[in-house]
Amino acid sequence: MPTDTKRVRGPDVSQSPSLFVCQPADGVSPQGPRADGRRRDQVDVRPVFVRCGLVSQAKGSAYIEAGNTKLMCCVYGPRETERKDETDMKCGRLTTDMRFAPFSCPERGSWIQGSQEKDFSTMLQESLQPAVCLHKYPRSQIEVNMMVLENSGSVLAHAITCASLALADAGIEMYDLVLGCSLRQNGASYVADPTSAEENDRGPDQSRNQGSLTVAFLPSLNQISGLQSDGEMSEDTLTAGVRTCIEGCYKLYPLVQQVLSRCVSRAACAPPPR
Amino acid sequence: MMAAVEVSEAEKVYILHGIRDDLRVDGRGCEDYRHMEIETDVVSNTDGSAKVTLGHTVVLVGIKTEIGKPRPMVPNEGYLEFFVDCSANATPEFEGRGGEELGTELSNTLYRVFNNKHSIDLKRLCISPGEHCWVLYVDVLLLQCDGNLYDAMSIAIKAALFNTKIPKVFISSDDEGGKDIELSDDPYDCMRLNVENVPCIVTLCKVGHRHIVDATLQEKACSVASLIMSVTHKGTVTCTRKVGGGSLDPESIFEMTEAGKRVGKALHAPLMKLLEQEESLGKKQQKVGFFG
Amino acid sequence: MAGLELLSDQGYRIDGRKATELRKIQARMGVFAQADGSAYLEQGNTKVLAVVYGPHEMRGSRSRARHDRAVINCQYSMATFSTAERKRRPHGDRKSTEMSLHLKQTFEAAVMTQLFPRSQIDIYVKILQSDGGNYSVCVNAATLAVIDAGIPMRDYVCACTVGFVDETPLADLCYAEEGGGVSSLGLALLPRSSQIALVQMDARLHQDNLDALMEAAMTACKGVSKVLDEVVRQHLQEASMLARD
Repeated sequence: MPTDTKRVRGPDVSQSPSLFVCQPADGVSPQGPRADGRRRDQVDVRPVFVRCGLVSQAKGSAYIEAGNTKLMCCVYGPRETERKDETDMKCGRLTTDMRFAPFSCPERGSWIQGSQEKDFSTMLQESLQPAVCLHKYPRSQIEVNMMVLENSGSVLAHAITCASLALADAGIEMYDLVLGCSLRQNGASYVADPTSAEENDRGPDQSRNQGSLTVAFLPSLNQISGLQSDGEMSEDTLTAGVRTCIEGCYKLYPLVQQVLSRCVSRAACAPPPR
Repeated sequence: MMAAVEVSEAEKVYILHGIRDDLRVDGRGCEDYRHMEIETDVVSNTDGSAKVTLGHTVVLVGIKTEIGKPRPMVPNEGYLEFFVDCSANATPEFEGRGGEELGTELSNTLYRVFNNKHSIDLKRLCISPGEHCWVLYVDVLLLQCDGNLYDAMSIAIKAALFNTKIPKVFISSDDEGGKDIELSDDPYDCMRLNVENVPCIVTLCKVGHRHIVDATLQEKACSVASLIMSVTHKGTVTCTRKVGGGSLDPESIFEMTEAGKRVGKALHAPLMKLLEQEESLGKKQQKVGFFG
Repeated sequence: MAGLELLSDQGYRIDGRKATELRKIQARMGVFAQADGSAYLEQGNTKVLAVVYGPHEMRGSRSRARHDRAVINCQYSMATFSTAERKRRPHGDRKSTEMSLHLKQTFEAAVMTQLFPRSQIDIYVKILQSDGGNYSVCVNAATLAVIDAGIPMRDYVCACTVGFVDETPLADLCYAEEGGGVSSLGLALLPRSSQIALVQMDARLHQDNLDALMEAAMTACKGVSKVLDEVVRQHLQEASMLARD
């Protein structure tokens, strides 16, 4: 097992006291407005703040903030593949690495990539790959590094949006932007773009319709590049949920376009690098 | 994706045209499974085991039960741990650490499939709240792969969970208030799990304009993207996931989920019937194992 | 003496066998369609799957290729559920790396590698259930898999683990006997020429007893070879019957 020898770690058995705090019996009330004032059963996504090109060393970078969810993405490449045996003569490789900062969640995380982070990386990769013109980059690899600075729900959805912006900022040829949106189903009602409290809300015990859904969507091509759900949902709920998420993605689209065009025009005005 | 085969353009056209006409290379229709063989109780060192053969895909699942500590968030529940071993037996690519990537991907999906309250009654796995609970280690061993790993794996897991026998334990407290766990003396006195709600995974591969279930490796090579769905006997979907490098338009996703629900729902009744039949035969059943 | 009586006064062992008696061996060749050769072997309660791929082109770095013979590549792994206590990792630990090396050395001695220069033969063994004598059962299963793959060998390689208790050599140890503080010896033999492919012993034994122990191991290996030969003949008969139909 890879052990971390660089840092002094706390004792193995320590646990955050927050875990032992009793959950409020009814959690978030299933009716009425949500804790942050947004409406239920509406495509009411959190306002987002997006910026491109923050990291000067990276080929492209983006930062996204939705409520308290904060993510940072850097793109490197295209460059020669590291492992020669994986070189593809016709097609480039897109690699993704998504990590949660140790302080990003209520409980302290580890610096070592856990299996959940690997899972997120795979889903991010599968959502982005259909949008990138990889055949234009033979024998090379493009690296996407995603860092979750603060996790306050819908991390994967925002990571997808953020990564596609960073790819665009890096000048990687793409068919379309990829936008992400998630949804939490709770019985008959749903909340779009859930916060982490809403994501973890277990709701009444017997409810059969309870789950999370994340969709990655290419808006101008009308294609779904990523779909992931868990929990329990009937097929109708799932279908309705996918439609809702697509709507949520469209809400995000104008803003993302605007940020990108501003970033490009700023780059055009800037003096050419020596 | 690992464990893939190379398919020439001509072969691809042949497969694509066949699927368009609802006739696949091996004579199946688009929503047909290959021949499947299921056998439970194949490894005696485990508390529950099953072997599933689907076409040339062979999956062996062993479940071991251990006493552990409940998770602080849910002190009155036990839990399941999944591990998928893509062994070099299946293909030399998996030698050393080669199979690890696929193994983590498969096990992560399994965690998602079982991430709901009704698949397994976790409260029954609790021995003493906050102190002891049963941990079920579900170990999947991939012995040969010929496509459709997810489906074969989920069926094998359901069969192995059905076969799992958890020893009965009693909590006794001594004079000083300390608690002891006592194991039942009778080895046949054991707890069985209710597997009625355990979902099965259906993988739908989009090939051309149609989708197929139970794709072979050749068919998978012609597909741009597939959709994994885990469906219970009631038709509830517990997990979906798009895999593969391509994208799908929303309408075809809706068609696929509809088909996935139909196919998945239909899997359960014959599977349960078969498992119960095998169980009722008990010791009379001639075990075939790998001699079949 | 260990707590357990390994050999009773009447000359019976804990599982009821006589000192020189082998466990029941059952095997089947050609269990998998995709591999070039495969075999499943049960020796008592130890159950092993062996798979052979090759001879094929070198995988990975070509610098390991030998111009005059094939390279044999072995991987030994144990299913996580194969032992009484669950294993965390199927392979990669020190013990399985050592076991892989031993298998490699054994088969380098038996396979006619000079016939396939610049190529590689992969032998993968997987323990499904472990009840002692893992090394020898793996060798026996791998022999069948190599034969199934049609790779020429000098002879069958037959292996057996023997132990020494109360001045008596015990053939084919099971798990309880292996753990009982017996000095055990593993021998892989090419029976027809009585050539030794591999012998290993990591316990203490008086020099005077070594000959007796080796003699017992050789006899046991020859016994195993008879069973394996039977399996191969049976398999060929079935295969030729199928071919005729």
